[in-house]
Amino acid sequence: MVQSERMIDIAGVHKTFVADHGTVTALEPLSITIKEGEFIAIVGPSGCGKSTLLRLISGLDQSSGGTITLDTAGRKRPVGFVFQEPVLLPWKTTLENVRFPLDTANVSRLEADRKALDLIKMVGLAGFENALPRQLSGGMRQRTAIARSLSDDPQILLMDEPFSAVDLLTRDTLNDELLRIWQSTGKTILLVTHSVEEAAYLADRVMVMTARPGKLKCVHDVTLARPRGEETKLDPAYHALVAQLRRDLRTPGGERS
Amino acid sequence: MVKRLIAWIDYSLALVALLVAWWFATGPMAMPTYLLPSPLRTWNALAGIAVTGELWLHLGFTLQNIILGLVLGSVAGIALAYVMTRFQKLAVWLDGPLVILQTAPKIALAPLFVVWFGFGVLSKVILIFSLVFFPVFIGACAGFRALDPKMKDLAKLLGLGNLQRFRQIELPAAMPEIFVGLKIGAVQALVGAVLAEWMSGKLGLGYLMTYAGATYKTPLLFAAVLLTTFLGQLMHVALSILENRLLYWKGVKK
Repeated sequence: MVQSERMIDIAGVHKTFVADHGTVTALEPLSITIKEGEFIAIVGPSGCGKSTLLRLISGLDQSSGGTITLDTAGRKRPVGFVFQEPVLLPWKTTLENVRFPLDTANVSRLEADRKALDLIKMVGLAGFENALPRQLSGGMRQRTAIARSLSDDPQILLMDEPFSAVDLLTRDTLNDELLRIWQSTGKTILLVTHSVEEAAYLADRVMVMTARPGKLKCVHDVTLARPRGEETKLDPAYHALVAQLRRDLRTPGGERS
Repeated sequence: MVKRLIAWIDYSLALVALLVAWWFATGPMAMPTYLLPSPLRTWNALAGIAVTGELWLHLGFTLQNIILGLVLGSVAGIALAYVMTRFQKLAVWLDGPLVILQTAPKIALAPLFVVWFGFGVLSKVILIFSLVFFPVFIGACAGFRALDPKMKDLAKLLGLGNLQRFRQIELPAAMPEIFVGLKIGAVQALVGAVLAEWMSGKLGLGYLMTYAGATYKTPLLFAAVLLTTFLGQLMHVALSILENRLLYWKGVKK
C-alpha cells in the first residue's frame, strides 16, 4: 500500500459545547496527519470525543478552533459516513438506498444502477436488491449502509461504531469484509470503535482517546502483516497490542464504559 | 386470497341480513312509509332521480367539494406544519392562535362562513377545509418532529437542497402520521360537506336531504342518506388504496 500523500491534516482542532451549566470541552486540541489509503481506528470510552472528531472531519459539526484540511480537491461530498445505526430510508429498497447519493447528485439512472449493483455485490447483498430495510437483518442493513456510503466514490470513509449493533459473529464477518473492501478500493478509513480487538485487527494505526475532557492520549502503529485473517488473531504481537490498548484505556483519565 | 374471499362473503352476508331486516320491518311488520320506506320504494326514489340526472348533479357537487376541501386542507396543513417545524420562532407565535382555532367547533362557524363567503361553492369548501386542516396539521407536526436526527445528518452529508430534503426524506418519513390525520379529516370532510349543504344552496346530497325532509318524501330522504353512507365507504376505500401505495414500506397491509 502506497502511503505518501496527506489525505487528512488535523491541526489543533478542538470543540467546546455550551451547556446549561457552562461550557463543556468535548475535544481538547488534537493534531494528526492521516495518509492516503491509511486505515485508522479510534478507540476510547464514551465521551472521549471520538464521534465528535468524526463529525468535525465530515463537516457535520463546526470545530471551535483549529483546522482540518482534506485533500479531496474540492469535491462536493468528500467523505462517506457510516453511522452506528444504518440510517436507511425505510421506504426505499436496497438498490434505491444504495443509489440514493447518486440519484440526488443527478447521475444518470443507467450509470447509478450499474455502480449500485456492483457495490451491492461487493458487500454480499446480491439477490436482495429489491428488499426493503425492514425485511433485512441488522447486519444486512449495515452492509447496505456501507454500500451507500461508497456509492459516490468518496476518498475518505468515516465509520462511527458501525458494527456495535450487530452480533459478534456477524461483526467478525463484517470486519473481514471491510478489510477486503478497503484493500480493493484503497479508501482512507477512520473507524471509531469500542472494541480494542477490532481496532488492532483492522487498523494501520490506532488512536487511543480518553474522556472528560476528550483528548488524544497516544497513537499506536500496528505492524501486523497484511492481509490479515484468522491467523492474525493467533499472532502474539496482536495479543500484545490488544493488552497494551487495554492498559492505555484503564490508566487514570481513561475511564471504562 | 381465501381470507379475502371469506371477508367479502362475511361483508355481503351482513348487508343481506340488514336488507332483509329492513324489508321485514316495512313488509310483514307494516311500518308506515313516512316513517320507514321499504327498500323497493327507496330504490325507486333513487332510480327516479338517477334517470332525470338530478342524482349525478347532487352527488357530483358534494364529491367535488369534499375533494377540493380535502386536497386544499391537506396541502395547507402539511405546509404550515413543515414551516413551523423549520422555524421554531413561528411555532411560538402561532401556537396560541392555532389552539383557539383548533378548539373552536368549526360546525358552529358554518353560518358565519355562509355570511362571509356566500351560498355557493366557496363557503362549503372553506368549511370542509377548516375541518380537514387541523387533523392533518397535527398529524404532520408529529410526523415532522419525529424525524430521526440522523436523517438530517444524512441530508447534510449528501448536501441535499431544501426541496430535495423535503421530497426525499422529510415528507415520506412523516407520511404515516399525516395519514392518521388525513383519515380523521376525511370523515370530517363528509360531515362538513353535508352540513354546509343543509344550510344554503340548492345542490348537493345535503340539500337533497333537507328538500326531501321538508316535503315528506321519506323514500328520497332515505336514498340520500344511503348515498352519503356510500360516499363515506368510497372515500374509505380510496384512502386505503392510497395508504397501501404510499405506506407499503410500513407493512401496514390489513
